[in-house]
Amino acid sequence: MKQPGWYPIFLREMLLFRRKLLKLGYLFSAMISPVIYLIAFGFGLGKSVQISGTGYLGFLIPGLVAMSSMNNSYTWVSSALNLNRLYFKTFQVFIQSPISPSSIMIGEVMAGMVKGLFASSLIIVVGFASSPDFSINMLFVTALILNCFLFASLGVITGMCTKSHEDTATYSNFFIMPMAFFSGTFFPVDKMPILIKSVIYMMPLTHTNILIRKPQFDSDGLISLGVLILYAAAFFFYGSRLIKNYSE
Amino acid sequence: MSESGFMIEISGLTKNYGKIRAVDNLSLSIKSGEVFGLLGPNGAGKTTTIKLLTTLSRPDSGSCSIDAVDVVKNPLEIKEKIGVVPQENNLDRELTAQENLLIYGMLHRVSDRERKISEALKMVGLWDRKDSVVSGFSGGMKRRLLIARALLPEPSILFLDEPSIGLDPQIRRQMWEVIRKTRIDGRTVVITTHYIEEAEALCDRVCILFKGKLIALDTPADLKSSVGEYIVEFIDAEGRLVQDICKSRDEAHEIAKQKKSSVTIRKSNLEDVFIQLTGGRIE
Repeated sequence: MKQPGWYPIFLREMLLFRRKLLKLGYLFSAMISPVIYLIAFGFGLGKSVQISGTGYLGFLIPGLVAMSSMNNSYTWVSSALNLNRLYFKTFQVFIQSPISPSSIMIGEVMAGMVKGLFASSLIIVVGFASSPDFSINMLFVTALILNCFLFASLGVITGMCTKSHEDTATYSNFFIMPMAFFSGTFFPVDKMPILIKSVIYMMPLTHTNILIRKPQFDSDGLISLGVLILYAAAFFFYGSRLIKNYSE
Repeated sequence: MSESGFMIEISGLTKNYGKIRAVDNLSLSIKSGEVFGLLGPNGAGKTTTIKLLTTLSRPDSGSCSIDAVDVVKNPLEIKEKIGVVPQENNLDRELTAQENLLIYGMLHRVSDRERKISEALKMVGLWDRKDSVVSGFSGGMKRRLLIARALLPEPSILFLDEPSIGLDPQIRRQMWEVIRKTRIDGRTVVITTHYIEEAEALCDRVCILFKGKLIALDTPADLKSSVGEYIVEFIDAEGRLVQDICKSRDEAHEIAKQKKSSVTIRKSNLEDVFIQLTGGRIE
């Protein structure tokens, strides 16, 4: 069978990921912030809070899974691409290889998704161990996969656009961190003032949080699914275009 | 190869970075099977020319073709023909030598990969280090691995950007042997260097670049004879090194006899050509 063009890029990332996994620091860094949030908000503040008649942990854990999948898919891709392009110059090896720009994009995004899903799965395990209210359904899995795809694609865009490694932190502070706090990870957003709410509903993570908590598919879920698909497609095509137009 | 018999044809190639013109209206042709050198000081436009030819950079104007295929219009087709050894080591430091070649082989859809990877590693003397992570390699080993990687898809044109930069003289000579081995099956090799010795030792023809412009192009022997084959060097009364260029050994001896201080007679090199043409030194 003919090997797809994206596979060597994905394989390279997985070989590097395997080496990182063997280091204790990686597992620790992938879990540290969600676990801190879980302890601080879930076990601390959450003891006295109920949302929609269920315990706070049951609300918080899907949000932490969404946030963790966003952070890991995005950060790994944007940092790696930025470093590989500007400092290690390994990205130039892909550009000089006879594979299409979309193959490079798919390889990078798939690798980012694996990293996002891996970090999320750690939170899911902790979620099952700590809350009887936590459960997973097909919408949860769909939202999680779309979220990883979407933010890995966004990671390619920032990885291609940033002019120094420091810039990746700036993008993260302006876009990723506000999304983590205001998109319904820690509290429901429907009681927010209308102006803020309209901004919040433009953020893709808001729709992941809506979809990931849905017990069953409905019209709200359909809108959120549509928004996520639109964002994913837009980020993917723009990222592919940036790779295609790459020139030093 | 084009109808004119050239493997690489460059016409009016220009590339600007902001206000700096890195390559300035460059036109030249490289024959199939020759080792062609781009010689010049830092900032002469050598690396930019390589980037333009290897699809990493796009020109502002002008054109270049490899094997009669336009580099800008058909980059994928070009990438199937070329192998590139960049100036900076861009190996994956956290992967082993074999893993580096495996990924590169897959990117270039190399068939019979396992055999070709072992042959490439043996050719550059790294077979016994195939399972070692690259971060532990010396500078010379990394350069050799870069050459093995570039040769893996058996490209018809090999680009080497400053292949021995930063290596000590002994390792540099070993590197030249490796580069000479790459010249098989009529492969065209393009080398950039600012080492005079390297250009003279390896290249059939040399193009001297200065501030993005071509200032001379010929065989090393013809370039040297165009300015004079012998140099008489002496220190003048003010302690400065003075060089007189002579067409023949007899002429050099005649000039030497007229000098009161001690003199040195030596054969000219490409640096002397560069000094004659630009008034400055290459390094």
